[in-house]
Amino acid sequence: MDEPRATDATGSDPGWYRICVQGRLAQRWSTWFDGMSLSPGPDGTTVLRGPVGDQAALHGLLQKVGDLGLILLEVTQEDPGGSGRTSAAES
Amino acid sequence: MSHALIETKFFRPSPRPGRVARPRLHDRLDRGLAAKLMLVSAPAGFGKTTLLADWLAPTDLTGGAPGRGAWLALDPADNDPTRFWRYVVAALQTALPSAGEHALTLLEDRQTPSVEVFLTVLVNELGKADGDTILVLDDYHVIESPAVHEGVAFLLAHLPVGLHLVMATRSDPPLPLPRLRASGDLVEVRAADLRFTAEEAATYLNGVMGLELRPSDVHALEGRTEGWIAALQLAALSMAGRQDASAFIAGFAGDDRYVVDYLVEEVLQRLPADVQDFLLRTSVLDRMNGSLCNAVTGQDGGRVMLETLERDNLFVVPMDDQRHWYRYHHLFADVLRGRLLDEQPDLLGELHAHAATWHEHQGDIAEAIRHFLLGAQFVRAAELIETVLPALRRDRRETTFRGWLEALPTDVLRARPVLCHALAGARMSTGEFGGVEELLDATQEWLDLGGHASAPPGGQIVDRDEYARLPGDVAVHRAGIALIRGEPEQTTQHAHRALDLAGPDDHLTRGAALALLGLAAWSTGDVTTGHDSYAECLGEFELVGHVSDVLGCSVALGDLEVVQGRLSAAVRTYRAALELADGHHTPVLRGRADMHVGLAARYHEQDDLPAARRELSVSRELGEHAGLPQDAYRWRVVMAAVREAEGDIEVAIDLLDEAERLYTGDFLPAVRPVPAIRARTWARHGHLDAALGWIKQVGVSLDDPLLYLREFEHVTLARVLLAQHERGVASTDLARVVRFLDRLLSAATDGHRAGSVVEIQLTRALALQRLGDDEPALTALGAALHLAEPEGYVRTFVDEGAPMATLLAAAGRRTSSPYLARLRSALATGRGTVSVPALPLPRHESLVDPLSNRERDVLRLLDTELNGPDIARELVVSLNTVRTHTKNLYMKLGVTSRRAAVLRAKELDLL
Repeated sequence: MDEPRATDATGSDPGWYRICVQGRLAQRWSTWFDGMSLSPGPDGTTVLRGPVGDQAALHGLLQKVGDLGLILLEVTQEDPGGSGRTSAAES
Repeated sequence: MSHALIETKFFRPSPRPGRVARPRLHDRLDRGLAAKLMLVSAPAGFGKTTLLADWLAPTDLTGGAPGRGAWLALDPADNDPTRFWRYVVAALQTALPSAGEHALTLLEDRQTPSVEVFLTVLVNELGKADGDTILVLDDYHVIESPAVHEGVAFLLAHLPVGLHLVMATRSDPPLPLPRLRASGDLVEVRAADLRFTAEEAATYLNGVMGLELRPSDVHALEGRTEGWIAALQLAALSMAGRQDASAFIAGFAGDDRYVVDYLVEEVLQRLPADVQDFLLRTSVLDRMNGSLCNAVTGQDGGRVMLETLERDNLFVVPMDDQRHWYRYHHLFADVLRGRLLDEQPDLLGELHAHAATWHEHQGDIAEAIRHFLLGAQFVRAAELIETVLPALRRDRRETTFRGWLEALPTDVLRARPVLCHALAGARMSTGEFGGVEELLDATQEWLDLGGHASAPPGGQIVDRDEYARLPGDVAVHRAGIALIRGEPEQTTQHAHRALDLAGPDDHLTRGAALALLGLAAWSTGDVTTGHDSYAECLGEFELVGHVSDVLGCSVALGDLEVVQGRLSAAVRTYRAALELADGHHTPVLRGRADMHVGLAARYHEQDDLPAARRELSVSRELGEHAGLPQDAYRWRVVMAAVREAEGDIEVAIDLLDEAERLYTGDFLPAVRPVPAIRARTWARHGHLDAALGWIKQVGVSLDDPLLYLREFEHVTLARVLLAQHERGVASTDLARVVRFLDRLLSAATDGHRAGSVVEIQLTRALALQRLGDDEPALTALGAALHLAEPEGYVRTFVDEGAPMATLLAAAGRRTSSPYLARLRSALATGRGTVSVPALPLPRHESLVDPLSNRERDVLRLLDTELNGPDIARELVVSLNTVRTHTKNLYMKLGVTSRRAAVLRAKELDLL
């Protein structure tokens, strides 16, 4: 119930995240995923990108991924619009 | 708000005709009856609910179900622990009609201390039922509340024989799964198990759906959907009535779109426009009937539409036998909502508002509020929340209204002072102070504007009494914050303000303000004001029947009376509270145990040790749950005093060690710290190094400024230094100690703390005697006796041993009185020579899962030198049997070794 407030030590900055799931997801899901952008990734995957308010919001997004029965492949924090800070798991 | 329960939550979906039989999974669930928890954990659309419903349904083959099934479909509102457990008991009652009746009364009683008390009673009640009961908690993943998880973990740890817990969930719950797995108490059915195998897929597509697909097509579908049942169902729907099934499958298999996107598109495309529209609009509903659908769509014919959808297998699930309520399959609902959000986002608020209004008319205010919040109609939501607030408070549903209030935007909240204030109170009650002052300020601001005379903007005053109470309540909360910050002056100011503002009949506000006033005064040593405030506060709570609060106040009042040296008044306080409690019919009343501990302390002072023990055991028998937070530590402090008086010094020290660990402040000032009590015991019995260590540790010195909060420690310091002199190892000038005691005496006298005066005078008398100042020593003793005699002090004198005997003898040569004679005879009996049979050690707790007779036999032998084979011979059983008993014993005792088992068993009086 107690959602972390913006002043919490963890996740205080809204960060950009990149969430990779299995399957090609239609553009229409963008609103469902709080306005994250959707783009095709490698090998029939979909990459969701966008700002995420805090850790609680990120968990909310991941839960939505789960609700649709999508297979979660990777979650990375990245610079706005840029490439991932860590990319080891992609190769 | 009514207590009406939503019946559909207990409805176990009936098996559909022609479903795919899944004997391999049923076998595994049957095995789960030997475990504590069955966990069916997989994403949406894997057939979890269907599997469990089928498994629980009586079958033609076996003629019966595996046990009585109780079903509970959870929803996010069940994160409120009170609601959650109310529904669990109601679900169990569908299988066992009288299950948990007694427990339920506890849950609904404000005086019940905690959910654990309720659960303990529930576990005991369920333990008496015969046969197996299977409780299914469907959609457990909606539960996020740690309080609910903790309760469920407690239930699991103490699960009665015959009750089996089954959870269907999309994510693993935060329960001790690895431990359950390791002990064989967890049986799992996971996504990999739930997927349709090739055979099951073929049975479904060709057998159930009658599609007559070729094996290669079945194979292709199974591969593309990876056995995901929801996807196979969608695929089957897309193909129904098609001539070109193979072409469809080829197209589907060759496409890498998310399967659900692809298939829902196919299914929806083939539906008429009005059906598509109906599906999209009603997707905002978690449960729906015809009338509700009509309200949301603005059309007629909702009921017929729902029946059609069910007939066509379009993912509606009936929620009762009458086909009155339905819901969409969760995955399908999410997909529909996703489309609605994308295609007509503006419609969302409107749809939720329709749904909310419908529920409001039906009297389901909670659901109406939920929809208003979802539809971002915050003003309407706030208005409704305010109407149900008093009822929710009464029903202990703080979690529920707090969740709603946290969802409101600041501007809406600020316009409604009652809600602002309620949120502040809800946060404070869980120890969170973030944003509380801002909320109180907002409430205050509104009040200062003369707002109480008029309605808040955008609404009318819902409950005039609630508004009338606001000014006083705000002041009470501010006083509480000040107290926690350690600011007694501000506490007093706010508390006085609260009393000025509260109406004469507003007993709760007045009671709270008076208690805060009492605490603030007490912490500064003004025990007169402390006492009078508490006495008045107690009266306010008694007027409104808050018995548990009266008992809580009586603890403080008794303490204060002891400091005032009015021991008989303290006894009257405890007895009056017990009498009041007797007239109250709540089975477990928190605070009763504390009253008996208070009485025990008084008997101890009178040197009536058997009576003190009697009160302590009465307190213990009432159970942990009858005690306020401080009871556990206070009980040990008094028992330690009794044991010390009986001569068991080591036991007394052990008890004080435990007391120190169990100490909790519970808002009361820490005026008698356990380490100081222990230091006195050490000093009295010659453990000077330990006592001096205490001085170092707490850092007290004869040069300290005098603060009432340190009075007990300061007197202790004087006593330790005096004990050093008596042992002839002194390093401090005793005259300095006497001067320190003089300062303490004058502070205690000024503060009208006669109880403190008795003690300080007595210590002074002993110190002066040691210095050879006989005359002043006898004067000091006389002053102590003068105050002590009418109140019957004994142990305070007797505990001082030989030096006190000398002093009393000297006093006896001058005057004689029955009181003096009594003290001298008590001293002559001597400490440590009183022979009292050793009583069992106090119990920390008792085992929830009692030992069997055989386990007791094994336990008895574990406390010998016998090895495993010897024990087996002794009991005439196999070594394996001994091992099994031992393993169960260890588990019940919560230990992992023989030595620990014996120790623990002794602690629990089992040996």
